[in-house]
Amino acid sequence: MVLVRYLEDRLQELCLQGFGADLHFSRGQEAISAGVISVLRPTDYVVAHHRTIAHAVAKGVPLWPLVAEVLGKSTGMNGGMAGEMHMSHLPSRFMFSFQLVGTCVPVAAGIAWAVKNHLKTDDIVVVFHGDAATANGQWHEGLNIAAVQNLPLLLVCENNRLAGNVTSEYYLPVPFVTNRAAAYGIPAAYVDGNDPLAVVDAAREAILRVRTDSRPYLLECETTRLGRHKQGQGDLRTKDELALLEEHDPVRLIQLSHHRRLELHDLVEESIQAALAAPDPVMPEAS
Amino acid sequence: MLSSPQTKSQPKPFARNHLLRDASLEALYDAMRADSSVHLFGEGAHVKVHYDAPKIKADFSDRVHTMPISEDGSTNFCVGASLLGVKPVMDVISSDFLYRAFDSIANTAAKLNFVLGPDRTPSTIVIRAEFLTGGPTTGQRPESLFCHIPGLRVVIPSTPRDAYELMLGALEHPGVTLYFEDREIDDKGYFDKPDYNITHIGDLGFGKASYRRLGQRGSATIVTYGVMRQRVEAIVNPWGKGDVYRQPNLDCGVVDLRSIYPIDWDLIRYALNRSGNLLIVEPDITYGGVGAEIAAHFAEERPGIHIKRLGGKRVVTPASPGLHYLALPTDEEIIAAIRQLTDWS
Repeated sequence: MVLVRYLEDRLQELCLQGFGADLHFSRGQEAISAGVISVLRPTDYVVAHHRTIAHAVAKGVPLWPLVAEVLGKSTGMNGGMAGEMHMSHLPSRFMFSFQLVGTCVPVAAGIAWAVKNHLKTDDIVVVFHGDAATANGQWHEGLNIAAVQNLPLLLVCENNRLAGNVTSEYYLPVPFVTNRAAAYGIPAAYVDGNDPLAVVDAAREAILRVRTDSRPYLLECETTRLGRHKQGQGDLRTKDELALLEEHDPVRLIQLSHHRRLELHDLVEESIQAALAAPDPVMPEAS
Repeated sequence: MLSSPQTKSQPKPFARNHLLRDASLEALYDAMRADSSVHLFGEGAHVKVHYDAPKIKADFSDRVHTMPISEDGSTNFCVGASLLGVKPVMDVISSDFLYRAFDSIANTAAKLNFVLGPDRTPSTIVIRAEFLTGGPTTGQRPESLFCHIPGLRVVIPSTPRDAYELMLGALEHPGVTLYFEDREIDDKGYFDKPDYNITHIGDLGFGKASYRRLGQRGSATIVTYGVMRQRVEAIVNPWGKGDVYRQPNLDCGVVDLRSIYPIDWDLIRYALNRSGNLLIVEPDITYGGVGAEIAAHFAEERPGIHIKRLGGKRVVTPASPGLHYLALPTDEEIIAAIRQLTDWS
């Protein structure tokens, strides 16, 4: 979580200097990806939404190719062709991420189907999505398919009650996303997503159920997005409101030695410098 | 004097061919036998193979998967499965349903092999749909829309043999292919023997056009695909129904595109060297269709060349069988276009 925070802060500086695109950061939401993925097996699969950096770091994607990809360089893990919102790293089983809200769910269902019926292993797939994605048809079609086909899919909802700058009364007619899972017969649990240990406990239980029952399960994690939706976009919340929200920051709970913090800073800086020095990708052929 | 086509027996507008469908399912069967990662997904897929492909049902029913009526979600689902090495054939059924799945095709599947980066083996996905007849949302031809999107290949066989080769080719060549079957092609066409059973000897030309007919030197080269290939050949072949108009200048060359992206420019160029005149006859709506691209290409490449385009009228697909037939280029229009191009008086 601290590594993600350092990395995103550094990338934010680069965005302001014009070296990065309008990146989407997980500031305030890091406990969810870190907590859930920490109790996965390394062989389990992860699919992310459009806010990908925290999930990729948590899944163990090597930092240098990850940072190079985020900055669109040829040394990136997808050759600089994917950027932050479409990147993937198969060796780490960080399978897919996608900018369009909701798409990640049916794609993750397809991966879960292939794990169960083609590879025939007991690994599971975890897909992260936001609460606003549950207003999209793709989310519902994905849940329906996963429920009908009994797929080993854990849906983790990062519920920050925001869609960009839009608040949830505009898109969520029920108090909790877990209400929606019930319509598909999918069991669900609710947890404070800003509490790393609570997330770990809930995720451990959820993962066990998905693996043993080979059925989907939804874990709703209430959280707080502390940064703007993306760089280059304003935030309707006032500075005072944001300052109050900082109290929910899960990274403040992490205690690390000064030496370890310096180490993490160095890791981030090395990866950034390596990426900045790398060449841009070449234009692909028409296809 | 020409007889009016109206006095001759009208071709059936709703042909409901089976040979083309059988050929693509035969290819699917052979692909499933050769490669255990080939799976069929679609609405009612197990019912479809029960009726249309008993061989697949008998041997590979565990690789036939019925999906909910979620064209978009199911296509995204196939994208996910392809990431783990599955080669999905996603049967969207009607080409009209492709609009339902447009997001997953254009935004997810088409982008997939691009964002995986250069070091990853591209995923192979076949999205199958058919041109039906029946009315405003059961008989649309959206193929040219997909040609505009990088990352997609679009193939439209017009003979059983081509259907077999193109389905097999789509599964053998990594990438995302839209595979269309044209239900309007008449099985009783003069030149459509189901000869696909001859040994498949590998790549016979996936993505290549078919030079169906040389034609007389100096006449016109007719570039066409799908059901219009059959209707054009029936006119220009002196043993076909064209014998009623039998005239030397009807002896035109015919190129069946088979693949509308990529387009086999070399073959069309070769055929044009023989005739010098280009007539494009497409079943899709002419406005913004594939014919416009071909016409523009050769207008730029060969200034002064005579070019004429015929295609579907820009109308909502009529429910009436008679009107549906008239919405595509008619025999009279095709003959008039040839006459105009070749100064045949």
